[in-house]
Amino acid sequence: MRLLTHNFLKSNVRGTENGYPLTIEATTVRCEESPADREFVLGLLPKVNYPALQAAARQLNPHCDPPLPDLPEDLDPSDAGGNERLDDATVGALHRVLFDVYLVEGWLVCPDTGRKFPVKDGIPNMILHEDEI
Amino acid sequence: MPHGSGSAVGADDNHASNNMSSSNAEEYVLLIEFVHKHLDFHNAELLSTLELNGIIQGTDCHFRPLPNANPLSDSTRPFYILSLPWSSIGCKFSVSDEHDIDESKGNAKQINLVSALARCTLIRSVVELWGTGRTMDECVESIQNGNALRRHQEGKHLGSDAKVFKERSWKITVHTLGGTYTREEHSEMRSKFSFLELPGRVKMRDPDDEYLFVREVELDSQGGAVYPRHSGVNREIIPEHDARPSLACYFGRILGNSKLGRNWRGSNRLEQYSLKKRAYLGPTSMDSELSLIMTNLALIRKGSMVFDPFVGTASILLTAALRGAYVFGTDIDLRVLRGRSEDENIASNFKQYGLRPPELVRCDNAIYHRHFRDHLPMFDAIVTDPPYGIRAGAKKSGARKEGEVRPILDEHRYDHVAQTRPYAVSDVMADLLNVAAMTLKMGGRLVYVIPSMLDFDEEQDLPRHDCLRIVYVCFQPLGTELGRRTVTMEKIKEYDESKRSLYLKDVWLNGSESAEKVANIRDRLLEAAKKKPGYEEKAAIRKQKRRATKEAKKKAKRVAGAQSANSASQAGDE
Repeated sequence: MRLLTHNFLKSNVRGTENGYPLTIEATTVRCEESPADREFVLGLLPKVNYPALQAAARQLNPHCDPPLPDLPEDLDPSDAGGNERLDDATVGALHRVLFDVYLVEGWLVCPDTGRKFPVKDGIPNMILHEDEI
Repeated sequence: MPHGSGSAVGADDNHASNNMSSSNAEEYVLLIEFVHKHLDFHNAELLSTLELNGIIQGTDCHFRPLPNANPLSDSTRPFYILSLPWSSIGCKFSVSDEHDIDESKGNAKQINLVSALARCTLIRSVVELWGTGRTMDECVESIQNGNALRRHQEGKHLGSDAKVFKERSWKITVHTLGGTYTREEHSEMRSKFSFLELPGRVKMRDPDDEYLFVREVELDSQGGAVYPRHSGVNREIIPEHDARPSLACYFGRILGNSKLGRNWRGSNRLEQYSLKKRAYLGPTSMDSELSLIMTNLALIRKGSMVFDPFVGTASILLTAALRGAYVFGTDIDLRVLRGRSEDENIASNFKQYGLRPPELVRCDNAIYHRHFRDHLPMFDAIVTDPPYGIRAGAKKSGARKEGEVRPILDEHRYDHVAQTRPYAVSDVMADLLNVAAMTLKMGGRLVYVIPSMLDFDEEQDLPRHDCLRIVYVCFQPLGTELGRRTVTMEKIKEYDESKRSLYLKDVWLNGSESAEKVANIRDRLLEAAKKKPGYEEKAAIRKQKRRATKEAKKKAKRVAGAQSANSASQAGDE
């Protein structure tokens, strides 16, 4: 599971409205570089929840070797004009954090209820058991 | 209209005459020949391929009527005639063989028509049309009145590396649809074109130019002649049939010949994607040809974001990824997502083709909005083969029996397989359309497959959504009673969350009646099969076989058990 996916996932435990973003407890993390596609990253940016991405990157960083690049502190993803002006290094950093880090084994934890969703072989299992629905 | 909007045939009918020579001399004309299968897909796939390559119908190109054009039967003929302004050849478009026929590379400035059309799976070949008519004589006349030969002699559009006319080797291939002719008869047909006085030498293998003469007759749905030339038994010629005039004759030069050959599909292009070569296959894996076609209908390009909410073994997503897309898949079935073993799973399939693994999540599409936060429309395309109860039953989360939920003990929780319950096909489709309306970008496409029995009415029974319009419906028969429709929809209106229940209520035009036709297909198939003679017998035989297999397995277990007990006791003795 890459951080792009994590950015959209939330906890569906009954009753909680604050199940986003999920906290990452990583056991195994893998990094695999890929060529950055500037146009694609900029197109995606307005849909991304930036604080959640920053938090997720911080949670995964201890497991990454080499460590993840720094993301800019302030970034308004909805600011199309501002995004266009981002330099290639920043876009490269965003690409790396969104696409090149894989959570292979670990847990995604609901910030409200503490319910742990397992991640195995890179696939998060978000299905609740029948007594939780 | 079953083919939706944008039907190619007869679309720009300024040229009522069938004789090509009276058409505008400023045109460059192509004959596109399709394979004789998936007839209902030809129009849709061709239009999608043009759109994918930025070739705008009505501006960049026009469809011309075939000889003996007849709107009622034209859709069963495997030919299309496409004309482009001659001035655009060498400018906006090129037809030379110089460009690499590699889909991932693209010259941004100039569109190579061969590479562009090569993406269309069902095209058999593309021919630079020199002449056409209802008969051979009309065809010859139209070549003589046209300027294709002169243009070829000048050779400007052949590219700067092309050999000069004098030195170009050539051959003429004769292609007679629906009937066989002898070598002598072929020779005679070829001789009709000797007036061209081609200077180069004849070369049978890999000539510089392969010319094609096509004789078209009326074909039935199987691709055989409606009026066969020979009788079945003795192979004698049937005079009345033999005397019938041809439907059309075409003559021209095959494009892309050096890279793709006469038959574009025969080469190793499709083989490369062949399902057979994948390590991990399941009973629900979509056949690779249909996935390729679906990715074209969905206009999937390099950099597209593609989603499959019923991903299964990810066979469709694999094809999308081969087109250069970023792919996401969800499914409720954990076993199919995880694969069979370390070497047989979705990730290993992707690795086999040099692709990065897809993003996969195990979740329930029926509650998409509870799994994923509110987000702006994100996907360029959603392509899927929803579960419809024939090969794999659709499931959604929840206890199987209402009210009967036992709490799961904490120590069992991590390994517990959550119960799921049946998910009616009508709900599957309603949820699919709603998720598509919610998550597709404007203009984005949803392409899905839906099974239907014979009583299915496309106008009335297809699911609908206020935010989506139906673009194409392509029917594929699967046996005598069952068929499958590939439906292409486009998002035309922004989604309004406050209207959710309204959207879902209006999915089925005839309410439960339409939904019923799609649902319970397994039961209806079973009903139909039961009525067939021999059903009882076959069922009994299958039951016997199942018992025998079960017994054999039990026996094998017993033997293995006895053996290990023996070796254990032996070890104990030592």
